[in-house]
Amino acid sequence: MSSALTRRARTAGFHLVAGGLSVLWLLPIALVLLTSVRTFDDIAANGLGAVPRSATLAGFGQAWTDGGEARAMLNSLIVSVPTVLLSLALASAAAFALSRYRIPLRRAIILLMLAGNLLPPQILLVPVFKLTELMGFYDTLPADIVVQLGFGLGFYTFVLQGFMRSIPEEIQQAAVIDGASPTQIFVRIILPLARPALAALSALAFTWTFNDLLWAITVLRTESVMPVTPALLGLQGQFVSNWNVVAAGSVIAAIPTVAVFLRFQRHFISGLALGAVK
Amino acid sequence: MLLVFVLVPLAVEAFWVFWPALQGFYLALTDWDGVSAPRWVGLGNFAELFGDPIFRTSVLNTAIWLVLFGGVSAAGGLGLALLLLRERRGVGFYRAALFTPVVFSLVATALMWQVIYQPDGLANRLLGALGLTGWQHAWLANSSTALYAVLLPALWRQLGYVMVLYLAGLNGIDPVLYEAATLDGANRVQQFRNVTWPQLRSVNAVVLSVIVIDSLRSFDVVWAMTKGGPYHSSELLSTYMYATAFQSLRLGYASALAVVIFVLAFGVIVTYLVRAFREEAS
Amino acid sequence: MDNAVLSHWVTTEETRRALPDLARRAAPWLTRRRFLAGMGVAGSAAALAGCATSASSGPVTQSAGAISIQSNLSAPQAKASIEALAKGFSAQHGSPATVNTIASETFRTQLPSYLTSNQPPDLYTWYPGSLLNGYAKKGLLLDVDEAWQTMANYPAAFRTLSGDGAGKLIFVPTSYYWWGFFYRKSNFAKWGVTAPTSWSGLLELCRALQAKGVAPIGLGAGGNTPWVASSWFDYLNIRINGAQYHRQLLAGQSRFDDPRVAKVFEQWRTALPYFDQQGTALSFQEATTSLLQGRTGMMLIGTFFADAAPKDTIPDLDFFQFPVLDASVPLAEEGPTDGFFASSRTAHRADVLAWLKYVATAPAQELYIQNSSGTVLPTNPDARDSGTPLVAKGRAMLAAAKEVTQFFNRDSSDALQPTADAALVRFIQKPTELSSILTGWQAAAEKVFAS
Repeated sequence: MSSALTRRARTAGFHLVAGGLSVLWLLPIALVLLTSVRTFDDIAANGLGAVPRSATLAGFGQAWTDGGEARAMLNSLIVSVPTVLLSLALASAAAFALSRYRIPLRRAIILLMLAGNLLPPQILLVPVFKLTELMGFYDTLPADIVVQLGFGLGFYTFVLQGFMRSIPEEIQQAAVIDGASPTQIFVRIILPLARPALAALSALAFTWTFNDLLWAITVLRTESVMPVTPALLGLQGQFVSNWNVVAAGSVIAAIPTVAVFLRFQRHFISGLALGAVK
Repeated sequence: MLLVFVLVPLAVEAFWVFWPALQGFYLALTDWDGVSAPRWVGLGNFAELFGDPIFRTSVLNTAIWLVLFGGVSAAGGLGLALLLLRERRGVGFYRAALFTPVVFSLVATALMWQVIYQPDGLANRLLGALGLTGWQHAWLANSSTALYAVLLPALWRQLGYVMVLYLAGLNGIDPVLYEAATLDGANRVQQFRNVTWPQLRSVNAVVLSVIVIDSLRSFDVVWAMTKGGPYHSSELLSTYMYATAFQSLRLGYASALAVVIFVLAFGVIVTYLVRAFREEAS
Repeated sequence: MDNAVLSHWVTTEETRRALPDLARRAAPWLTRRRFLAGMGVAGSAAALAGCATSASSGPVTQSAGAISIQSNLSAPQAKASIEALAKGFSAQHGSPATVNTIASETFRTQLPSYLTSNQPPDLYTWYPGSLLNGYAKKGLLLDVDEAWQTMANYPAAFRTLSGDGAGKLIFVPTSYYWWGFFYRKSNFAKWGVTAPTSWSGLLELCRALQAKGVAPIGLGAGGNTPWVASSWFDYLNIRINGAQYHRQLLAGQSRFDDPRVAKVFEQWRTALPYFDQQGTALSFQEATTSLLQGRTGMMLIGTFFADAAPKDTIPDLDFFQFPVLDASVPLAEEGPTDGFFASSRTAHRADVLAWLKYVATAPAQELYIQNSSGTVLPTNPDARDSGTPLVAKGRAMLAAAKEVTQFFNRDSSDALQPTADAALVRFIQKPTELSSILTGWQAAAEKVFAS
């Protein structure tokens, strides 16, 4: 009897703590939402921190059409989806080879690939800009895809090899006995086993690529190919900004990434029945 | 075949990252304004660095940042992941709530945090309501509180991300090990110390490296909220580098700063990783 | 993966021992030496690819066609105005003009890469000053003398402003605005005070406002807008030491720890007690709200702040001139000017010059003002402004000035502006540390001028 009570108390306690944290966490987001439904005149007359005295959805319409956000979201998707797919494919291949096989210098290679991410990206902007001009696709979306691919590879490889390293040897060796080639082992065994890591990394990679600002403004300069984050910046004025429109635009821009996270999160969690290996 | 697995990603990274990085290192030895030809100054930039009071301030601030930001995001991320590990009703919403700051546009959220930190904003009003009027400050405008004030939104954006990494790692742990531990009579804390923590070793290597990288490269939040001000009190190495590159237009000096950041990050991570690799091999 | 399949891959001791051979079997020719050699080849191939510091050169083939304008006018009204201009140009001239609007900060950081790229945009919005002179010296800007041939009615001051200091004209100004102590007429009436005409009058006004519980002088030098504090420095300097000294100082020909600069701060110190306590914690947009709500009395700000005010409050706005401190100093005002410049490597020179001639005409400037918020002045003397009493007063004030300065970062450089922000905000918060502030400022400025 008492165990059921403690269980209920524990559940209540959990929801209290987790719920409280969530509310605290979402507070600034709630403020953004509040700002997005105010009018410009309300904000100008009463300040950003004041209790709203207006309610309108005009900000969303303005961000979507006048601000060009519709096109910017499309650009972001065109860049993010291939980037995430390609980078994770390449990174998992490299991570697989580097973590499961005794390739010479493998640890040095892992560190080298990670080192690529240790340099602040701001310093790479001008050389990368010149490189994209040289390659002939400056100011096109493929440039953004390729640059983000290159810059993310080192980090994703590093993360994935960390996860793949912890997969037990026995499973792989059993496949080797059966005569499986490395590619088959990679595709049929290691990739499925690395699903939590791949799902987590996909959600993160999608978020970063979708929200990226620095590479986009470096390799793109025409308004029509700008992805969503530079476009959001463009909603601000040179001096004065319509914060309600900026807030509305931010809410719209957050939807795809939150959706991706919600969709992918059960994969971080669906562990696999490693225990079935008996 | 295996070689292709490694060489293709390596080649892509070599072209788009290593080559520009080498140019960046070269630029650290020059004086360049981004437009005319660079002028060779050898180690002149580095000599200037060591005599630069703003550089010293930013190194100190970065060290503080590394400890506070790094420490709290590691411990906090792990704690949150442990809290929200088990599948139960509502946990998906909680996880999404904690991850939302990571995905939300920085422009809008930085603005809201500035509003919260305004002298008559939420933070001070809350402190006033709790009777702590002595603690009220102009958080972002006061040179002694600016750095610590920016820490909060930075953590707010980082914890969900670290939580996700730890969630994936914790889920890679064989549940059989926990069953065995429970059978042996271990309580929660003992299970954590003897099962979870050792099993997280390779994940820890990744997460801690990530945290060091992010701490040393922390730029977006600080820049958006204070631009390193007021008068350099919240200046980090990364913001100082950006200001030098894109405000003062001294790309050679900025590259030297970037090299310093790189060396610091590399030094910290390599020592840790080499040790971790060696432990694993044995 | 189902359990049956998994259990099939059960390990044996033999397999565990066979694992190290796997790498060798997969790629038997992979030895350490060959691996390193492969890396070396890949590396040098990459080394032959582009170099970051190279710039393209050589003559550009000309063609007629669409011109592109890279614009930083991202506020919705300004954007609409420049697009209206582009449409007007296309209708008149025949060839299309496309406007590319980028966020202002992005525009500023990317301007060097726009100008040095292989196919630069044809035209750019911006302001004249040392930045443009620097680019002109490197041959990146188009000589627009041909456009100036049609601008004979422009006052000489604009012509001087648009030169690169070496005789070439590189800029075409299209609008300008002014700075002043703005206040709300209804609030002043409510408090029973009037606009002052002297510094002592200003201080008296501040005391009267303070007695009413209002923070007399508003400031918005917090958040992301610390640069508004520079207007105080600029105005005090041109009032006390004159515009010529001010320009010399900002060009690096004088020192910031000079006693003449200290005099500026001593004068400023007399007004400091009346500054809004929250002045360095609010952005100027929020400070505008404070002004409109009556929490502060007045603010030294440029007319662009009117964009932050609700439409119905604009008729209630008025301003007074920064008081004259020394009648012997030639009267100077701050009148920042905006306009267009072009890349020297444009492929459509004829069309670019046609655009520049077009935007310098009175009808084009009137079209621009019609679509904008109405607080800017046209540079063409024959063009009509929006006609409100406020604008007429501003135009008269600038016309009466002997010298017009541009604002700190325009007269000096964007690189020097952060040094001013740090020094001035620190002075406002800690005025007793003046001497260390000035020595620090001089040291920081020297580094900027040296590069």
